[in-house]
Amino acid sequence: MIKIVEGCDRALHGGLIDQMHFMRARVFSDRLGWDVEVKDGREVDRFDTEDPLYLLSIDEHTGQLQGSVRLLPTTGPNMLRDVFPVLLDGDTVQSSLIWESSRFAINPDLSQTRDDANNVVSRTTMELLCGIVEVCQYAGIAYVVSVYDARMARIFKAANCPATILGTPTRIGKVITYAGMFEITDEMHERLAHAGNLSGSVLEKSARSLSAA
Amino acid sequence: MKSAATDDFYELTETIDKVRETESIPNLLQSISHLYGLKTIAYLGVGATRLGDTEPYIAVTYSPDWVAHYKNENYLFIDPVIREGFNRLMPLDWGDFDVSEGRTRQFLGEAVEFGLGRQGLTFPVRGMRGDRALVTITSEANDREWQGVRRHYTRDFQALSGHLHEMVLRTGGIETPQINLSKRQVECLWWTSQGKRVPEIAIILGLSHHTVKDYLEEARDKLNATSNSHAAFKAAQQGLLFPGL
Repeated sequence: MIKIVEGCDRALHGGLIDQMHFMRARVFSDRLGWDVEVKDGREVDRFDTEDPLYLLSIDEHTGQLQGSVRLLPTTGPNMLRDVFPVLLDGDTVQSSLIWESSRFAINPDLSQTRDDANNVVSRTTMELLCGIVEVCQYAGIAYVVSVYDARMARIFKAANCPATILGTPTRIGKVITYAGMFEITDEMHERLAHAGNLSGSVLEKSARSLSAA
Repeated sequence: MKSAATDDFYELTETIDKVRETESIPNLLQSISHLYGLKTIAYLGVGATRLGDTEPYIAVTYSPDWVAHYKNENYLFIDPVIREGFNRLMPLDWGDFDVSEGRTRQFLGEAVEFGLGRQGLTFPVRGMRGDRALVTITSEANDREWQGVRRHYTRDFQALSGHLHEMVLRTGGIETPQINLSKRQVECLWWTSQGKRVPEIAIILGLSHHTVKDYLEEARDKLNATSNSHAAFKAAQQGLLFPGL
């Protein structure tokens, strides 16, 4: 299930956000070798201080953190504008109807400790993507923009989740980097839910009144 | 219960984008409220007027009675919309507020008594310079009707809130031109902010002295700054100074 946590409420969720920062360090620094800052085992950047919205995928039975993603409005500070403007060839993305997603991470433990590793990784991925669509629909958001690498591009393709590429994909460091825009529609939700074999809302129960609207 | 047709929506955004005078804002809010069959609309912005001006900007269609009562009771410190809204991203449905705290319950009850309507929905807005705003709509709809219309309101008002905020910035004298600095300009400004001077920056970036000077001059022009360090400061303040690459 997907838990929604506003950045300003980080202290209210029993260390889940702290766990997320530890997990992000393992994913982005240890595994992917990105040039991110890790302090005391936690990966935290300046956008974490800009009151983002976090979506956390939690195992309903064990309470384990399975994955996370971060959302920021494009009308405020965001990564595409402030870190990766080179991708847009001088264009800008700035609209109250567009949010940015970043720091998409799946817990590396899932692929080590479980027999059904592939299954649970792909399910968690789809759950997070469905969560993004549901939360954006509730908030009246029409598009999500994201900067991602070939790894995510393959995931989007496998999930039948089409992106409109903005600007020109560019080699940054070792990786080809894309800026893509995703349309938030019922159809997109159906495609993702189908790919992840998910039914109904992925949001945790207390947040479901949101998606009922 | 009314909802604006698509044509009305686009016409409305055009109207908002054309507003140049603060004086016309109250009438505009009234007409939006009318168009959507709402009870009230309120805009509250911080950091939305001239720099150095710390007063929030408020425009509301509330009754004068409620405004006076609100001020007398110091509700600015109790109002859950204000307490929670500015740091949030998700729209706040007033029905979701935790009313276990007596003061919050009393506040929301009195809001209904003063004619704000039974339903409320608040849209947080974020700008680039730390400016933030809350746009709140209220409605007389009952709970069942509200479930039906909320999605429609959400879709239109997420967009309209952004237009209203831009309007307040514009009429308040804050120009919001897009300042696009090149990667080299950002690098030169960033090293300037680290206390480096032109010859040192030239060595660090492997550029000629002249080229660095040119980049900084262009950046000063774009930022309307009087010196290199002023330009670096302004760029940092606007969130432009991040050597991500």
